[in-house]
Amino acid sequence: MSARAMTVIVGAVVIGAAVLVGLRVAVDEKSAIDSNSTRTDSVAMRTQWGEANLAGVWRAEPLGASVGRDTFDLTTLEGLYTPETRVRMTELSAEDDPTMRCAPPAFPRAAMLGHPIQIIQSPGFAFVFTEAYPVFRTIPTTGRPHTAAEYLYPTYMGDSTARWEGDTLVVDVTAFNGEGWLASAQDRPTNTSTGVWLSSDAMHVVERWRRIDADTLEYQARVEDPAMLTLPWETPTVTFERQSGDRIEEVMCRPEDGPATYLARIG
Amino acid sequence: MLARYGITVVVLFIAIGASRASAQIQTYTPPEATAEGTDWTERIVEILPPGVESRAEARSRIAAYTPNPLAYPVPRTSWDGKPDFSGVYWPDATITSPPVPLESLYRLETRDYREAGGGAAGLIDWRGIDTPLFHCWPRSPVEGSMSGTVQLVSAPGYLLMLNEGANNFRIIPIVDENESQPSTSHKPSFQGSSVGHWEGDTLVVEVTNFNGKPWLGPARPPDQLPQTSSDALRIVERWSRPDAQIIEYSVVVEDPKMITARWTGPVERRGIVPYDTVQESLCFPDPELGTRHREFAEAEADKRGESDEAAIEAGSQGVIQ
Repeated sequence: MSARAMTVIVGAVVIGAAVLVGLRVAVDEKSAIDSNSTRTDSVAMRTQWGEANLAGVWRAEPLGASVGRDTFDLTTLEGLYTPETRVRMTELSAEDDPTMRCAPPAFPRAAMLGHPIQIIQSPGFAFVFTEAYPVFRTIPTTGRPHTAAEYLYPTYMGDSTARWEGDTLVVDVTAFNGEGWLASAQDRPTNTSTGVWLSSDAMHVVERWRRIDADTLEYQARVEDPAMLTLPWETPTVTFERQSGDRIEEVMCRPEDGPATYLARIG
Repeated sequence: MLARYGITVVVLFIAIGASRASAQIQTYTPPEATAEGTDWTERIVEILPPGVESRAEARSRIAAYTPNPLAYPVPRTSWDGKPDFSGVYWPDATITSPPVPLESLYRLETRDYREAGGGAAGLIDWRGIDTPLFHCWPRSPVEGSMSGTVQLVSAPGYLLMLNEGANNFRIIPIVDENESQPSTSHKPSFQGSSVGHWEGDTLVVEVTNFNGKPWLGPARPPDQLPQTSSDALRIVERWSRPDAQIIEYSVVVEDPKMITARWTGPVERRGIVPYDTVQESLCFPDPELGTRHREFAEAEADKRGESDEAAIEAGSQGVIQ
């Protein structure tokens, strides 16, 4: 395919590559059928197949940083960037944030935006949807390996696989495309902040999702990026509160809205 | 005519995606029927090896397929015993055509509205090569907003639709039939608000609360105007899984501001493919799409040695007419 054609693909309608190969998840032995099984079960602490139940529409307070007020420990993150990365960051500006081009913010950034998320579980999977951008995460919860390298396709949201540690879902995320930012341009915790928050394709995120009571979900992530950060960065715990309603809103990033509108929405 | 070049681009990308997945797929071998009580997932075999056969061939075969629920029992969920739609499906094959073309039902007085582009007046230059897909809109609600490759997930109280190739998803709540009410608590949207209930083993989904922008079908300049919709659009979808190998999908469309009578759409079928996830695939809108899309479609057609007409024909496959 010519470079010209590739440009069109990247710049225009980017249709994804292959469906991923993976093990089919066997449905375990049939459990007793619950006659009351509708969405009221999403509030139950446990799914009918026995996992901790994270399902629901959730929202956390917006988090971020300005001088003297840092609710997401971005001061620490800023201090972890390597000198080379810092130089690069001084050469960029808010317009270089990929979300300005309708690219989705990955977690943990997506967890600090203050927009609703929705989690739905099925046997062997958890699905995370965000209202900040129409993108979904598919998280196998059986502890199976990451997608095989020959089928792995670097993405904004990364390739997830998870296992249960007790009732905490521990998600391992790799295969980021290195485009995403870890925070937003208006996050400037210090007087020397650039508002630029690069990540690389070496990024590795370990998330911990835990339901602590009927209406509360906790999220925490560790971000490693040996190409850009000198040490791993641990995010503060984000507390999501259950929202009413059975689904999040449809959100589209459309050219007629313009990037400014989009930024305002996710800001 | 030119409008369909754009669709060519989309179809090509979906085909590229499918062929990338083909590397380790074996040629289709009919499975042996297995004893009752074994795990149904082991009985799922691909009837659609992408890359082994063309999209058109796959469509023909899927359309001609006779469901065999004895050999391939309908998978059922562990929580309510209803059909489990979970799986990745490709491609869409029409097994029953609409009794009448949708176009024949459009009200004459909507002509100016349609000419101007409907609820997104002036946005889409449909007389050129522009289409809603270039603006990253979901596919037509008549197609269930489904892209070429789609993953369905049955979860307690929900059916999920995860699209590969059109960055969108649908979350369809499932309620008891006597609780089934059109949702009014959401903002009007491209994909509307869905609520489903079971009628036997068929999931009936009512979709309302559209934003008046989606096109139900393409424009075909110069003769056919965009098949625009209004905020009165109401779609009733029927989803079923005749056996483990396929799903079937049909729609009835009402839009009293646009069409003179209720329209019964095609019955569509999709075949399961042997994957359990779809890939992240994003749509990045680009204000300068037009020229580049045309150049790309022409270059691709040249490479294949096809005429423009062939490219247009290939490009039109993905759209229900």
